[in-house]
Amino acid sequence: MQDKLKIMVLDDEPIVCKRLKPALEKLGYEVDTFIRSPEAMHQIQQTSYDIVITDLKMKEIDGMRFLEEVKKQRPQTEVIVITGFATLETAKQSFRKGVFDFIAKPFKLGEIQDVVARAAAKIKGAVA
Amino acid sequence: MFQHLRDLWKRISKPRPGIMAFPEIFERFQELMQNHQRVMELMADLGEKSGGEYIFDRKYLADTVEEIHTLLLHMVQGLNLITSNRYLELHPALDRLFVPLEAELRGRLSLSGEMPLIVCLSEAPLDRPELIGGKANNLAVIIQNLQLPVPPGFVITTRAYRLFLEHNQLEERIHAWLESWVAGEQDERQTSRQIQYSILAGVVPQEAATEINRRAEKGGAYWAIRSSAYGEDGELTFAGLHETLLNVSPRGVIRAYKKVLASLYSPEALVYRQKMGILGEEAAMAVLAQEIVPSRASGLVHTLDISGVESDCLVVYASWGLGRTAVEGRGLVDRFLVERDYPHRIRRQEIAAKKTLVRLRTGGGEEVGAVPPEEWAAATLSEGQVYQLVSWALTLERYFKRPQEIEWTANQDGQCFVLQSRGLVLPKAVAPAKQDVYERCAQYHVLFRDTGVVAHAGVGAGLVAQVASDVDMDRFPEGAVLVTKYTAPWLARIVPRAAAIIAERGSAAGHLATIAREFRVPTLVGVKGATELLKDGLKVTVDSKDRIIYDGQVNELLQYELMQSLAFEDAPEFRLLRRLLRRIAPLHLIDPAAPDFSPQGCRSVHDVIRFIHEKAVEELIDLPGLVKRFKGVHIFTLVSDVPLGLKILDLGGGIDPAASGSSLYPEQIRSAPMKALWEGLSGPGVWSTEPIPVDFKGMMSSLTKAWAETPGAATVSGFNLAVITENYMNLHLRLGYHFNLVDARIDPDPQRNHIYFRFVGGVTDMTRRSRRAQLLANILSQYHFKVDTKGDLVVAKVLHLPREDQEYRLRVLGRLIGFTRQLDIQLRSDEDIPEFVDVFFEQNTPARQSTLA
Repeated sequence: MQDKLKIMVLDDEPIVCKRLKPALEKLGYEVDTFIRSPEAMHQIQQTSYDIVITDLKMKEIDGMRFLEEVKKQRPQTEVIVITGFATLETAKQSFRKGVFDFIAKPFKLGEIQDVVARAAAKIKGAVA
Repeated sequence: MFQHLRDLWKRISKPRPGIMAFPEIFERFQELMQNHQRVMELMADLGEKSGGEYIFDRKYLADTVEEIHTLLLHMVQGLNLITSNRYLELHPALDRLFVPLEAELRGRLSLSGEMPLIVCLSEAPLDRPELIGGKANNLAVIIQNLQLPVPPGFVITTRAYRLFLEHNQLEERIHAWLESWVAGEQDERQTSRQIQYSILAGVVPQEAATEINRRAEKGGAYWAIRSSAYGEDGELTFAGLHETLLNVSPRGVIRAYKKVLASLYSPEALVYRQKMGILGEEAAMAVLAQEIVPSRASGLVHTLDISGVESDCLVVYASWGLGRTAVEGRGLVDRFLVERDYPHRIRRQEIAAKKTLVRLRTGGGEEVGAVPPEEWAAATLSEGQVYQLVSWALTLERYFKRPQEIEWTANQDGQCFVLQSRGLVLPKAVAPAKQDVYERCAQYHVLFRDTGVVAHAGVGAGLVAQVASDVDMDRFPEGAVLVTKYTAPWLARIVPRAAAIIAERGSAAGHLATIAREFRVPTLVGVKGATELLKDGLKVTVDSKDRIIYDGQVNELLQYELMQSLAFEDAPEFRLLRRLLRRIAPLHLIDPAAPDFSPQGCRSVHDVIRFIHEKAVEELIDLPGLVKRFKGVHIFTLVSDVPLGLKILDLGGGIDPAASGSSLYPEQIRSAPMKALWEGLSGPGVWSTEPIPVDFKGMMSSLTKAWAETPGAATVSGFNLAVITENYMNLHLRLGYHFNLVDARIDPDPQRNHIYFRFVGGVTDMTRRSRRAQLLANILSQYHFKVDTKGDLVVAKVLHLPREDQEYRLRVLGRLIGFTRQLDIQLRSDEDIPEFVDVFFEQNTPARQSTLA
């Protein structure tokens, strides 16, 4: 059996984590979810993730800083940014920081599954 | 006299100072129509979001409600501008709606004065477990949505509980006692005793007490008084921690109420809440009072075998008398193992020697009694009763999306009732090991993948049952997968019985989708070729979350879904969305002639926009009169074989710029919607001028109308007017006694497109006019119009279709206007309706055969 890709989801709205976890697990990924950014920050020092999905606007550590840290720890990690409509402009800036893609709330489960599948294909392509 | 009349006429016809110029009024009208459209879209969006396909947060809900509010303010202003401020009362009507909507969004509504102290179970507001507690919320859903029999009762809400605490100044004291317990100054027994004593000594405030006594004494029944704490029967289980008192006399209800409240602070409940880390949160107790059923037998149903031995079975536990024997494991009980799979064979029944029972004691309370020896070894339930309980249990599991534990009882006549339903707690050892659902699912044959649109997300499995007519509906088996070509509204009746729904056509914003969401039935629409591939009797598993339909039953997937910690439908955001939708989406104002068709009568956002739309259109109905009053407005008369005397007012780009004089020819029309409609209306054979055979009743009715016209004759009146632009049409046609309104826009961007069709009136009696309305509704719904009818009023609309589809439907409408103009006379009985539907379809290609639809 091939190794599963590991995904981290970070969003301070619990509903996002609760819904994304089973939706991604069903596609064969291993998923950890966090609703507090300091905990997620702690976790990325311990574990390496293939894909990180993070909200941009959060209490405590801001999403932009978090993704910088992710990239610093492990540059090959693909980061997908979730954003509210209001932060769309900021989200576009995040591209410059090496973000794989961003997705605006509210979104369909299918949309994020597609983005994750593309990121996964890129990762597997890089490995092969 | 003549002079007087002439003066009067002058006064009426002269433009009043300050009145807006016509093009300006019309601009307002169009703006209003666009805002109307946008609100309709936002409402549809909200509806779709409740289907589970989207991930959204509270901010989205707040933003959408705010946008709707702003649009409605504009609409109210617009209408008042058009009508010289005749509808200023709409402002307070908006406040009545939006103050509570905004309170909902802030989470402040439940305990405000708007919520009741005491409420009947069958009328309790849904999705408010924080008001009526988890247990009562489930029962309210079971009664109101699933319509299973539950003994009648009422809920004393958490608002009443808070009022009780306030009235007796208990809040602070309870808090202090709890603190000293946590600090280790007292043990839980002392703490519990102090709190419970002060609750029992408290006085129920008059406003609550009067209402409790009134309800308790009505009918002379005895009562079961149960706890319904917030959180109970939800994510946390307080099973058995709180008090239940059975067989309480009407006069004893208040005392029993306080006893149940006190049980919130029993030593066991305190320890449990501390262990779960929720001691700091405010505890709130709603209490449920239900009429006692004199039980012959009672027990439980588990939708999974918690012993783990027969994982493919439900287990029915039953004993004689009241439920305590089975629920509290007090004695030996019968066990019926029934297969979860259709046709739910009873695999085994284990009949126990039941020598004692718990029964009602005369005068109140319960007692243990002896079972007569001849009943020791008798089965407590008949096969029919077992089937009934099993079918209910599966319905409940399908709805609540989790394995269920159901308490039931059967009265002396053998009639069964659901007493409650809650999530079944599976021992860890029994819960299926978390397996790799992705790999397991990959081994199944997939029939459809990535096909269709999600109307409600979920997973359901069963045998395919195709439904194409009423007859099929009656044969629809419980728990089957409904496969259908259309999402016709009449299918609504079987939605609660379906494990999943697959439709070849339809939209996620349609009526059937709304019903499917209400009953939480996984539903995919727009699955092309479904009726070809999914034949009756085929077993399939529908995963509408991932838009996959599997051949066979994918047990791993079904289990995976059942074992999720939270069904999305029960997430706070979804509950909030449903609460918002209840104040936004329902339409109560259908009939403009009804007395409550007023700003005061508006009970939802939908009502308000319906009201504004109607009044704005009413203003335009008078357009022919209105337009005459403005100088410089050029009105053409359409020259055609179809004798309508249609007047045309172009506001820009609607006609050939070369047109002059007062006559306009059809080929000079440039307005896209007008062109399409006229093509239909003037098509060969549409405008039949043959005399129509009139039967006696129809004729009498026609004759009694003062200005009855000869059937089939040309009908010209001053009411036929079309206001057009290049991509817009607002058409009023008065044909004999009925009135057609078509408002349509065809834009390059389909999101802005709509067709709105309104039809009312007729020459014959109401029954026949209603038949014509039925006929129209029937035909229009097959072209995917969303149709509402009331009496002889038909309101139909479609939204967001691309240009060709819009044009196609406008041609159909044109033909339909011609086809139905005399039909009420011909529709002698209800049986004639399908015949005429067929006649229409013979002459016109219906949507199902059209490549466009």
